[in-house]
Parts: sequence; C-alpha cells; structure tokens
Amino acid sequence: MFQPTFTRLALAIGAAAMAGTALAEYPERNIQGTIQWGAGGATDNVARSLTPHVEDILDTTIILTNRPGGTGVIGMNHVMRQRPDGYNLLYGAENPLLYPLMGLADFTYDDMHSVNIIGQGLVVIAAPADSQFDSFAELLEHAQANPGELRMGGTGAGGLPSTVLAMVNAVDELDVRNVTFGGDGPGITAMLGGHIDFMPLSLAAAGEQIRSGKMKGLAVLTSEEIEALPGVPPITQALPDIESFLPWGPFWGVFVHQDAPEEAKKVLADAYEQAVASEEFGDFMENFGAEVLNLHGEEAEQYLDNWQSVTAWAMYEADAEILEATPEELGIPRP
Amino acid sequence: MSDTFSYLLMAWLDPQLLLLTALGTLAGIYVGAIPGLSVTMAASILISFTFSWDINNALALMVGIYVGGVYGGSRTAILLNIPGAPSAVVTAFDGYPLAQRGEAGQAIGLSTVMSVIGGLIGTLVLAGSAPYLADMALEFAPRDYFLIAILGLLLVSTLSGKSLARGIFSVALGAIIGLVGMDMVTAQPRMTLGSMELLGGIHYVVVMIGLFGAAEAFYQLHNLNVVPVKQKVDKIIPPLKMVLKYLPLSVRTSIIGVIVGALPGTGGDIASLFAYDHAKRTVKNPSKPFGEGAYEGLVAPETANNAAVGGAYVPMLTLGMPGDAVTAVIIGALVIHGLNPGPMLMIETPHIFWFTVGNLALANLFLLLFGLTGIKIFTKVVEVPKAVLIPLILVLCVVGTYSINSNMMEVYWMLGFGILGYWLKVFGFQTGPIILGVILGPLLDKTYRQAMSSVGDSGSDFLLALVTNPLSLVLTAVIVLVLLGQTPVKPWLMRRIRRH
Repeated sequence: MFQPTFTRLALAIGAAAMAGTALAEYPERNIQGTIQWGAGGATDNVARSLTPHVEDILDTTIILTNRPGGTGVIGMNHVMRQRPDGYNLLYGAENPLLYPLMGLADFTYDDMHSVNIIGQGLVVIAAPADSQFDSFAELLEHAQANPGELRMGGTGAGGLPSTVLAMVNAVDELDVRNVTFGGDGPGITAMLGGHIDFMPLSLAAAGEQIRSGKMKGLAVLTSEEIEALPGVPPITQALPDIESFLPWGPFWGVFVHQDAPEEAKKVLADAYEQAVASEEFGDFMENFGAEVLNLHGEEAEQYLDNWQSVTAWAMYEADAEILEATPEELGIPRP
Repeated sequence: MSDTFSYLLMAWLDPQLLLLTALGTLAGIYVGAIPGLSVTMAASILISFTFSWDINNALALMVGIYVGGVYGGSRTAILLNIPGAPSAVVTAFDGYPLAQRGEAGQAIGLSTVMSVIGGLIGTLVLAGSAPYLADMALEFAPRDYFLIAILGLLLVSTLSGKSLARGIFSVALGAIIGLVGMDMVTAQPRMTLGSMELLGGIHYVVVMIGLFGAAEAFYQLHNLNVVPVKQKVDKIIPPLKMVLKYLPLSVRTSIIGVIVGALPGTGGDIASLFAYDHAKRTVKNPSKPFGEGAYEGLVAPETANNAAVGGAYVPMLTLGMPGDAVTAVIIGALVIHGLNPGPMLMIETPHIFWFTVGNLALANLFLLLFGLTGIKIFTKVVEVPKAVLIPLILVLCVVGTYSINSNMMEVYWMLGFGILGYWLKVFGFQTGPIILGVILGPLLDKTYRQAMSSVGDSGSDFLLALVTNPLSLVLTAVIVLVLLGQTPVKPWLMRRIRRH
C-alpha cells in the first residue's frame, strides 16, 4: 500500500533532479493547486479525487491548499495575483460567475483561462421524511394558500437554494421564510430534526439521506427523471416553464492565469481531459451524485457564459433588489 | 456479535494498523502542540496522501492524529501559557501557574491521564448510545443553539479574573472581531473597510495565536532577567490516589464534553469552557484557588475536550453529518474512498463504526504511552533562557498562522493582535474573554437570525417558542437560574420583598 506513494515521491524527486539539467519542459516543478472552498466540502472532494490522476499523467506533484472565505473570493484573488507561469491552479465552483452581480468582487472566470469544467452536480428539492408534501406541486399549492408560512433552508444570497428559489419565482410564485445555514450539511441536520420544511440541495449532499428514507425528494431540477433517484419527479412536472433555465446545477472547474504560457495551458488541458475521462474518477462522480462534463476550450467558455446568463437573469427577474448591479449593466446577455 | 467483536479488535491485531495508529497519535501530539498547526489541516493533507491506500489504513492514521492532536494543545498551554489549539485555551488558566511553580511535569502527567480517561469515556458513550445521542442532537433547533450561546456568554464571569467589567468589555470586543466578514444571509461585507482580504473574516485561530502566543512572548520581555523556575520532574505519573480523587469530576466533565461534541454546531473548544465553568462552580475546595494552579482547573477542560472527540463521531457515523471540522474532513475521505457517509453507513458498512470505536480506544492507549514518556525533555523547554525562547515562540507563531490559510495578511493580523494583547495584559485585562467573544459572537448572530426567520421574524412567536418547547424551556430555565445566582438581582429582590 505504500507503493504508489513512494513511486510518486520517487518520480517527484527524479523530476526535480532532471529539471536542473534537462531543458525546461512544463511542468518542471511542483504545481500549486488552490481550492476556493474549505476541507471536506464538495469542491474539496472533487479536487482531491481528481488530482492524483493528473499527478500520474504529468509526473509531478500538485500541492493542494484550501483557501476558503468570502464564497471563494479569497482563493480566486490569490491565484490571480500569482505569477502567470502556469504553476498556480484554481479549483473553483460556480460562485465566481456571480461576484460582480453580488458586489463581492469585480472579476469572474472571464478573467482566467478555463483548463477544464470537470462536472456538474444535480439538484434535488428535499423535505423531511414525515413531511405532509409528496411532490413539489403539493408544496407549491400549500405555499400559495399560506404565503410566508413554510420554512426553506438556505445558504445565503447567491447560494444554491436562493438561486433555485429565484428560478421558481421567475416563472411562478413561492413566498417562504428563508432560514440561512452555513452550508448543505448544517441545513440537512436542521431538516432531519424537523426545523425546516424543505431545502434545495445538491444530490451529492442529499442523495444518501433520501435513499435511506430519512428525507424525501420532492423534485429533481431536471426535465426528466434521473437514474439516481427513481420515483422523484422532475421539477418540470410542477412548473413546465422552468425548463428554459435547465439544465442547471452547481459545477466545478480548474482554472489557470489568463496570461499563462500557451504550452502550459495545452499540457494542462490534455492532462485534465485525460484524468476527468478516467474510469475511476467517473465512478467517483457517479457515486457522488454528479455528472461528468469534461469541457475545455471553446466549449468551456460557452458553458460558463450560458450558466452566468441563466442564473443572473433568473435572480434579476425574481428579486432585483438583492443585486448590487443589473445583468444588463454588466453586459450579461439574456438567455 | 462475533462480527462486531472482530471489527472492534481489527486495529489491535493488524500490525500495520497498529503501527499507523501509533504513528498518527505521536504525530498528532506534536502537530497539536504547535499553535496554528491544526488537526483539521493535518487530516486534510492526509487525504490526498492516503488516496491510494486501503480505507482502514487511512482511517487509522486520521483517528490517531485526531486523538493526539486534541491532547497536544495542552502541552504548550501548560509550559508556555500558549495554547496549541482553541480547545486548550482554558487549560492554560491553571496549567501555566503550575509550571511557574515548577510543577509542569506533574501537570502534564495529570493532564495526560485525564485526557485518556476523557477520551475513553467519550469512546464508551459513542459505542453504547450513538443512535440515541444523535437523535437527541437533532432535537436542537436554531433557538436552542442560540440559548447555548447565551449560556456561553455567562461564562464571562468565570473567565474574567478580578474585574467583571473588563471581562464584559473583552467579550464584546471579541464578538465584534468575530463578526467581521461577509454577512452569511445577505452576502454584504461587514466591517471589512472595503478590503477584499477581510471578506472571509478574521480566523479565530489567528486571534488566538496573536492574543496568547505573540502577546505572551512580548509580555515575557518584562521577565527577561528572571531565572527560570527549576522544574520538578521526579513525579510525573500521578499517584492512583490523586486520579481516584478527581475521577468523579472527570466523569462529569467528560459527559459535558461528549454532549457538546455530539452537537453538530459546537465542539471541543466550547466543551472545555463549559467544563471549566462546571468545575469552578461545583468544586468547593480546589487544591489551589482556580486560576492559581488548581488541579481541578486542569482536569475539567482536558477530560472534556478529549471526550468531545467521541462525541463528534456520533453524528458523523450515525447520520453522515460532521460533528466538527475534523470529522467533516474524515467524511470527505470516506467519499473519496467510494463510501457513502449517511444514515445507511452503519447498516451497509457496520465495520466502519466498530472499527472506529476500537481504533479510538487504541489511540487513547497510545496517548497514555506517548503522553507520559518524553515529558522530562519537554519540560526543559521552560528552563530555556528567555532570550532564546521568546524569538523561537514568535517564529512558531508566524509559521503556525501562515499555515492556516497560507495567507500573509493573517500573519500581520496575528502580530497586530499580539500587540493588542500585550497592552491588554499590561492594563489588567484578561484575553480569555476575547476568545469567548470571537467564538460566540458569530454563533449568536447566526442562530438568532435563523431562529427569527423560522418564526417569520415575529418577536412574540420567538419568545413563546423559548418556553413552549421542552428542550428550549430547560435551557431558558438554566440561563435564568445562572443569572439569578451570579448577579445581584437576587439579593436586590429579597430586599424589596422584605421591605414590603
């Protein structure tokens, strides 16, 4: 069992020794990987599962550091301020696409080069097992008869639950009490204790709870039923109009400085494409309740633009007051 | 049944697992002893390192690091008045005065034995009542966490030393420091002065290292020419009589530790505070007055923070929900190794539960072994001349702070808090209440707003819920009783009644 670690160590030492003599060929030394969310979270899990495969392909060591804080502003700002030599990578989630909208920072992923959009999480609207509702349609009906009564678990402005709520409100009306938690975990804990009535969650966080019967799924945020949660209806059954926003979900990607050398960008793109496509990582993502995207280059840019436009306009149409700037002012086109 | 037994003994019988647990515990003691090098950090680094290992090997190493690390924080707290981790802040209150009297050896010996007792009680509770304890923890609504935070605020009287007014000032200052950063609900920057670096807030370990580590180093400059106290190192292992004497207290504080640890919103840091407060209230004749080197003041936090380890595993193993930051990382490790942490974990993979229980017990035995050896050399640290020791402490403070988030800005903050802490010490303020404020301020803010939005922002509904829910009612009653007992309200009321 020590074998692979030692091999990797030996390779790293070997690579370091060779770098001194041979011609510089990227990567000639360790790469720094910054994770913009804390240890144990979804972004952290994805980054730490994927990176060993990339290390094997590149024959180098990628040193991972968590730099959480300010919904990822601090980690991203750090990577952008490093020398653009291709030795500093950012493992990020969807949040930076909304920074200017929320007034948190004036940069987005447009200011970095996308190495790979790794994958996308599925979203499920979950309720406690003993909830009076069996589908999202029933919940919607109840909420419209009793506005402002139901307690929804949230993760703050710009978080996944409030974005989903915004999408629902862009096509229908859902007036609820938004109870804010520090993340999916504390929200699920509160739901298991019956302290909230429902919460939009990533499947990665909620899947096990639903399969074990501690919580139930009211709807999945897709236009078709998904294999991982049989019997949970797609949200379009209750709200056909929401289809214009789909497919939507939190995503994870790897990014490098915009001015990094072209050679580094190419080597990284190839290595990450190969690593994300590996069977082992695919199994991890499936088990994790996420879908592999493996996008780079033009496709990745398109994905990011589309995600930003859908989310920004849904948030704007639902409640323009919470935003610091309108999507129009920021030049984000309508979906 | 025989399966359970074989899972329990798995780590004890496999030489590789035995070795990894030992290695983890030993490494944990030293990682924990250095302020800023945290168990959370060590565990998350281990995840990528152990990626290709067998899951049991990875878990064994992490259990060892966890148990060793929680204990390690007490070493520097006793020897240098610099807690290695937030859960050891309270240990310094009575541990350091003991070191100043030359009893560091015995203090470390006692804290080791007590940590092991706390750890074993925590493991026992985990093994025996994890599902019940988890159900109980789920009952805690946001308003109950709010009440716990209020109860925590009342600890200010225990931590304030001579002047309560200065203590209250310090708690308020700490709460303000704790609230800096992005607002959790609206994502608005609060008190960040437009700085992007401050969006993430000020990490409370940064404040701790500054106020306790750097400030202590600066303050020691006053005693540059004082000859260090010669440490007595002949009696390190505490006599059985002494252990038995403190056993009732340690059982009580261990229970406090397990329960506070099992609550998903609170951990060893808050557990040790409550335990110290409990000791101070219930022990009538401590070996020395509290704060001047009472053994009881050492026993309480050391048992509680190690018992909280077992507690933190309760929601993790039964529900797949982390009890603290370290168990959050371990859940991440399980996910990466292809397991599904959740309510089914205990049913689908029962060996993980019993393996962890057996492993925790094993790690505690190694803790006893490693904790009691090497003390003689360790205590020599105190006898090092101040001119050598102080720069070394400052270097450790800088390294420790930088390693939290690899952020140089936080090092400047740490030094700033060091200077602030120095002046506070000079003017007779305690720094303990500041940490209390930094920990409780954000908890109060978060839970109050959660509780209020749960009842549709209706103040009357909120107050009503405090007395209509049984759990909340108990907590409210405790707060009222503590308030009556601690403040002059009662004598004042009695006087009024007598006059009429």
